[in-house]
Amino acid sequence: MTFLILSQILNGLGLGMLYALVGVGLTLILGVLNIPNFAHGVLYALGAYFAYSIAKMTGSFYFAILLSPLLVVLVGFLLESQGVRRLYQAHHDYQLLFLFACALIIQEIIIIIWGPIGFSLLPPPSLSGALDLGILIYPKYRLVLICFAFFMIICLYLFLTKTNLGAILRAGIENRDMVKVLGINVNIVFLYTFGLGAYLAGLAGALSAPIMGLTPSMGLDILPICFVVVVIAGLGSIPGAIVAGILIGLSQGAATIWFPEATNVVIYLMMGLTIIFRPQGLFGVR
Amino acid sequence: MKNILKINNLSKNFGNVSAVNNVNLAVEVGSIHSVIGPNGAGKSTFFNMISGVLPPSSGKVYYKNNDITGFESYKLPHMGIAKCFQITNVFPKLSVRENVWSSVFSCARKSKFDFFKPLSNFKYIAEETEKIISDVGLSHKINDKAEELSHGQQRMLEMAITLGAKPELLLLDEPTQGLAPEATLEMTKLIQKLSKKHTILLIEHKMHIVMEISKVITVLNFGEVIDEGTPSEVKESKKVQDAYLGRG
Amino acid sequence: MNKYTITCLIIFIFLGPFLFPNATITEMLIFGIVAISTNIMLGYTGMLSFGQALFFGTSAYISGLILLAGFPIFLAIPIATLGSFLISLFVGYFCVKREGLYFICLTFAFNQMFYFIAYVWTEVTGGEDGLVGITRPEFIDTQLSFYVFISILFLTSLYLMYKIITSPLGLIFKLIRENPSRAEAIGYNVRFFKLVSFSIASTFTGLAGSLYVLIHSMVPIDQIHWLKSGDIIFMTLFGGVGNFLGPLIGVVGYIWLSDTFSIIWARWPLIMGVIFAIIVLYFRGGVSELLENLIKKCQFYFKKNKDEKYIKN
Repeated sequence: MTFLILSQILNGLGLGMLYALVGVGLTLILGVLNIPNFAHGVLYALGAYFAYSIAKMTGSFYFAILLSPLLVVLVGFLLESQGVRRLYQAHHDYQLLFLFACALIIQEIIIIIWGPIGFSLLPPPSLSGALDLGILIYPKYRLVLICFAFFMIICLYLFLTKTNLGAILRAGIENRDMVKVLGINVNIVFLYTFGLGAYLAGLAGALSAPIMGLTPSMGLDILPICFVVVVIAGLGSIPGAIVAGILIGLSQGAATIWFPEATNVVIYLMMGLTIIFRPQGLFGVR
Repeated sequence: MKNILKINNLSKNFGNVSAVNNVNLAVEVGSIHSVIGPNGAGKSTFFNMISGVLPPSSGKVYYKNNDITGFESYKLPHMGIAKCFQITNVFPKLSVRENVWSSVFSCARKSKFDFFKPLSNFKYIAEETEKIISDVGLSHKINDKAEELSHGQQRMLEMAITLGAKPELLLLDEPTQGLAPEATLEMTKLIQKLSKKHTILLIEHKMHIVMEISKVITVLNFGEVIDEGTPSEVKESKKVQDAYLGRG
Repeated sequence: MNKYTITCLIIFIFLGPFLFPNATITEMLIFGIVAISTNIMLGYTGMLSFGQALFFGTSAYISGLILLAGFPIFLAIPIATLGSFLISLFVGYFCVKREGLYFICLTFAFNQMFYFIAYVWTEVTGGEDGLVGITRPEFIDTQLSFYVFISILFLTSLYLMYKIITSPLGLIFKLIRENPSRAEAIGYNVRFFKLVSFSIASTFTGLAGSLYVLIHSMVPIDQIHWLKSGDIIFMTLFGGVGNFLGPLIGVVGYIWLSDTFSIIWARWPLIMGVIFAIIVLYFRGGVSELLENLIKKCQFYFKKNKDEKYIKN
């Protein structure tokens, strides 16, 4: 039993790390650009599919993890500069709808290119197999995933707190008008933010591929979870998104032990509890 | 009942900053009572606390001896308190008639079922609406959209919306803000005319307007009352002169 | 609504069955109710809810289950509609507390919550396969009687919704869209009226959902998926939120296009996505605004001609 619980906690933690990465990406875009990025899910899916193709072509998994999120960033840049930016004058509803339309388009393009059937992406030999931790034996890749995602979150934290651009992004989340007042080129800030958000989504997608496999609907499935992360976190809170993501992952892990059929419902249960007992979200102020 | 509005020890803190500190004030029925002060004196915070936008940190607001501290702002018009905003605050895409109509309807409707009846059923509201619009001199623009009006006309419309609630107490937040000199004069006359029917609490920045029309003036600086009296008393006050001239 | 729009509507009701197959035209009328009611919330009150499929789907399930249990349709439709009304009060209570983005996120998440309940609760909802085996009552078994039945309910709903938006309530919705803080200041409880608007839209959407089961005698699970909520919003916007019947044009266009493309190419959502993107980027007023501008231009042109003649004479 302890074996089961421990391994599910680790599973949940790994999942939670992925949720935290996508959730932070969505939070950044939401906070700075003031739009809910409905294309976030398909960017996540693109990350996974790019990684799959790159790994297949080059044979290097590490190279795939490195390159695929960058390709997703390019897609993100394209969406921001060609569509979202034209709509800043319009109501933010229209930006949202544009991104929703793009989500449909990218979703179908994925099916056209990679087909409607799912794939699995195997971790490289050095990361496959399991590690004996004494109390339990656990897949190597999942352990590495947890550590790497944790490392990325630390990097992100350092980026946001120690660099100029990070400070500007945080200022933008606090008060969008301030960025304009500071005389910074808003277009560039928005572009980079969207790019960073897309990077995190793409990275999470690529990392998730060896665990959860690739299906064309993976983008549509992750999107609601991202939104739940944002709701639980409190709108625009980055630490909140990290905590909420991990929390959801862990509760899903716990649900797998006791109510395996309710793993998806438990996410919404968490959201329900949050909006009843803490309507502003865990880290929300408004 | 001599005082329609009584404010006891009203304070508001934002974190460690105290924006309004222990303000006491009583507004006499039928008077124009002004609250003045230099920029940043806490006038807006004070106004927002009375009008239900901000909950006070401590202190009480009494209206006709009823405690209305921290009431949501939508309840106030139904009790007879209406407010006019500092920035022009109308319904831009709706006609002048609709703007005022909705305000009159809000307080004059007779039952909950009125919400579902056809708009043409409310003759008495339509008449009242037209009367108010002609009072502020906008009859010729009655079917124009609010956003098509000039700035001065929008201020008048704003006033008409406020009057639609048939208030006993009018809260006016810098009604002459950003108006041209002639329009300011017109607005001052309108306020004077209104004071015959309504009690008015006026928040103002410009001294000369206040001096002409007020009965009592309260002077705020750094969130505290520094003086109160008739216009001539306040004019002579050393403290007030310092506050306005030297911020001292 | 003026005489012309009413005439157009009546012509559409009579011509519809000759232009489109029975299943398509009834679907158009049903989603017509959905889009017009969504517009009360979206266009009139200015609230974008990304969770309308929740009400459509839930109501379809309730009505389907009641029919499967052998109860008459005159029980199924009212109960399902009432059900979606109650759910809209519950969901709306939490959602209208928040504004803008948070409102969108919450409605969206609630939508998915109900989706997963339907997905997991296979004994009741049929899970991924949907709820199947519902039979249409005998009196609406023929194509004609079914169409008449649906159009009567469609016109009744339209009449009711028209009454709502032309009552003071409709004006209050516009006040909230234009300037919520001012609406609050003149004595309207904005949060309450937002909930009213949300509930009206959701209840009519629920009514439409309860009728939807009758078309294909089943409830597919994608009727409660969040993608459906997106479709509903696009139907509404496609037509144009500027006037009462605009969304109906959107529904007819949307369903006709998706039917046509789905026959030609399996990846038809791609084309729909492209159309959506173009509309959002270039024609934000939707089809109805496009038509309106066209009519205005024609009127201007004719008037000019007339004036010229007048001058010549």
